[in-house]
Amino acid sequence: MSYKCSRCKRDVTLDEYGGVRCPYCGHRVLLKERSRDIKEVNVE
Amino acid sequence: MEDYEVQFVDRSERSARFVVRPITPAFANGIRRAMIADVPTFSIDTVRFIENSSVMFDEQIGLRLGLVPLTTPPGEFERGDEVTLSLDVEGPETAYSGDLVSSDELVQPADENIPIIDLKEEQRLELEADAVLDVGKEHAKHQGGVAVSYRHLQAVEVVGDAGEFDDEEPEILRGVIEEQAADAAVETGGYEPENGQLVPTEAFEHDLTNRYPGKDVEVTDIDGAFVFDVETDGSFSVDELVVEAIGTIEDRATELKESIQL
Repeated sequence: MSYKCSRCKRDVTLDEYGGVRCPYCGHRVLLKERSRDIKEVNVE
Repeated sequence: MEDYEVQFVDRSERSARFVVRPITPAFANGIRRAMIADVPTFSIDTVRFIENSSVMFDEQIGLRLGLVPLTTPPGEFERGDEVTLSLDVEGPETAYSGDLVSSDELVQPADENIPIIDLKEEQRLELEADAVLDVGKEHAKHQGGVAVSYRHLQAVEVVGDAGEFDDEEPEILRGVIEEQAADAAVETGGYEPENGQLVPTEAFEHDLTNRYPGKDVEVTDIDGAFVFDVETDGSFSVDELVVEAIGTIEDRATELKESIQL
């Protein structure tokens, strides 16, 4: 899972041990980035 | 095959007004419905978003893209054909329909100044879209004729002089009249009084007392004569729309004729 730290704006990868916390600055608010996949939408 | 008389009152690329006669109300309505629902136009149907960091959801932008009219030259494509378009705009800038790049030079946005979304700093919209050729019956975004209507051609008869002490009230009438009382009429809006001439009511500000001052008038519908008001969304010209619409009626009539001759 890839997130972005809301304070230092760095990309963060979470593992099952670290908890929800930025390993660079210790901030606990992380943002989920939009997937880079191409999304197909039907126009209705 | 019957012959019909067609007279134009107004004619430009995207809108026209004309009189057709003699036709039945049923046939007039058939033409109107065919223009709205049966003439196919290209419209964006699926969108692949590569990047959308704008403030709107992909689906909302998709809906807006679907409503952009695309030029559809008649006879070049078949129903179901697809054309791919792409868009790549980076903020701060507004993405317009004119930013769409088409893979087919025949299919282009009909207007270049339709705003799609306003992008701020650091926002970007990149996408690929498939436009498909389909009819208005399937989805309103495929309608080529957008303001299509008809009404009876009207005749104004002078039945006498207005009473000397009558209140001067306006006689409002909207549509097109066929001049039948030139003797009592005055020139308005550049239309000289001449019997048989078609005069849109705009010429006398929709008020019959301007055209026939001091006269008492009676308005009647002319049987079998219909005034059509047609406007297209830019997918094709009005001429093409009308001809294609009539074509679809003919196709269906032929199909019916063939299928009942066992």
